[in-house]
Amino acid sequence: MAYFMVVLLDDSRMAKLRGTGLEDNIKYMFGGELRLLEVEVSEELKDKILAEFETARVDSRGAITDVPVAFMRELFNQVVEKKSLGPEVVEGVLAKVDEIKEMAAKESEYLPPPDIETE
Amino acid sequence: MSGLLIERPLPHGGRLVERVVTDKKVARKMIQGCPTYEIKPTLHYETGVPVRNVYREIMSICYGFFSPVEGSMKQAEVERVLKERRLLNEWIFPYPLVFDISKDDLNKLGVTVGDRLCLTLKGKPFAILDIEEIYEIDPEELAYKTFGDPETNPEVVQQKFDKKHPGWVIYRSHQPYVLAGKYTIINEPKLKPPFDRFWFPPRKAREEFDKRGWRTVINHQTRNVPHVGHEFLMKCAAFTGDVEPCHGILVNAVIGVKRRGDYPDEAIVEGHEAVNKGGYIKPERHLVSIVLWDMRYGNPLESLLHGIIRQNMGCTHHMFGRDHAAVGEYYDKFATQILWTKGIPSFGFPAPPTEVPYGLKIRPQNMREFSYCPTCKEMAYSETCGHKREKLSGSFLRGMVAEGVQPPSIIMRPEVYKVVVKWWKKFGYPFCNEKYVINKEKELEVDLEDL
Repeated sequence: MAYFMVVLLDDSRMAKLRGTGLEDNIKYMFGGELRLLEVEVSEELKDKILAEFETARVDSRGAITDVPVAFMRELFNQVVEKKSLGPEVVEGVLAKVDEIKEMAAKESEYLPPPDIETE
Repeated sequence: MSGLLIERPLPHGGRLVERVVTDKKVARKMIQGCPTYEIKPTLHYETGVPVRNVYREIMSICYGFFSPVEGSMKQAEVERVLKERRLLNEWIFPYPLVFDISKDDLNKLGVTVGDRLCLTLKGKPFAILDIEEIYEIDPEELAYKTFGDPETNPEVVQQKFDKKHPGWVIYRSHQPYVLAGKYTIINEPKLKPPFDRFWFPPRKAREEFDKRGWRTVINHQTRNVPHVGHEFLMKCAAFTGDVEPCHGILVNAVIGVKRRGDYPDEAIVEGHEAVNKGGYIKPERHLVSIVLWDMRYGNPLESLLHGIIRQNMGCTHHMFGRDHAAVGEYYDKFATQILWTKGIPSFGFPAPPTEVPYGLKIRPQNMREFSYCPTCKEMAYSETCGHKREKLSGSFLRGMVAEGVQPPSIIMRPEVYKVVVKWWKKFGYPFCNEKYVINKEKELEVDLEDL
């Protein structure tokens, strides 16, 4: 089975993605309203993710889900930095595993809210 | 009036229970010389985390949401409710409701039958309890009997209840002594913002419906921030009515103890309000309201309570979905539909609750779900659309929100998302975490003035 992770794209993320050459890989759901990228995950990396994060799971499509939010945010950062959707993206995330775990531990206390006008 | 037109039903039991004294002078006289007892939250019997606060039951009883219940139930009434889901006055009711107290507290108070107890909340006089009976309960037995089991209720109960079920935990965490008798609120609590503008106790709700010219009203039960699937559910269910669609949609949010991962109550009520402020459903046709209650998650039994509350508020119809007010797989996922279309004999309903003596008048509207169909290019009803649809799951949406990604407006309206972020900024977290749960139970939804 091929494994992957979904990176959701809103307008702010789309702006950061511009110029990475990944625009052609964007997939659409909900009538084109939801944009996303799929990052490739090798068998070995999938096992590493499952070993490092106990909440992580693989769904019936082969998508790895339920990792900490800090992981998902870094996943997007790495996509932009590496300009890639290949396994090196998840490798880049896992290279920061200690930092992510530290942030994940604080996640149940605090999550930074998006910077949008609310009033 | 044409025989085809549906009229607003009377409250359950025939009249609204209203046990609120508004004259402070009278109230002060009523508590003169009474022993006082500060209401405490019910703590989880193992973890010590708050799981219920009886003040919410007192509020809902005294303002008539639970009519015809008037107080903490006597032992014979609890037994009848557990056996037949009926009160001693014959009217159907799903749950035992009692004022429970520890042996130590009972001994300290030294109260007996015939005494009046002044209940304080946040240190201020709140209500009185006129004690008619004192008896002992076995909380574990009460917990099991409240929800049923696969042997006794094979029609709908699939697995034995246990500590993973939050409603079972509430009853299991009750203290072993019950003070039974009528409650009367003697110092009206003030609902805090934003809850104050959603406070429509039954009498006020009925008056509001009159003001708006709503003869037929369908209720939408919620404990969630609305996504577009919910919005379509409301819009389409409202086409039920009589000779015309329902005049009004009442959103009634259950406000009570929260579980981790739920959206905060503040975001839920304002999120629903954003649906009408944004014009997705006209404000003239949509009203957001609350009821104070620590959910028991009793699926068909909870639906019965929901029917009672909303009939008391003046609704003519009630939407019920799959897995209504359910947790886990304790009940058949269509247990609520079974109750309202066929009845559940082992729970005392050989026929639906609308067809038994002393039953309900509110009409069930059993809806399935809406999801996006890329072929139809619209939100489509699961039982109508024949295409492969993209499901809107709450966890998918929560994951998106937690990541700080704004959901597209076909999933969640931008106005609703802004509300989520507004409260996220306030609490530092988009969902209920331990800090929120503990603070909420400390601060509650109300404040009280001196009497």
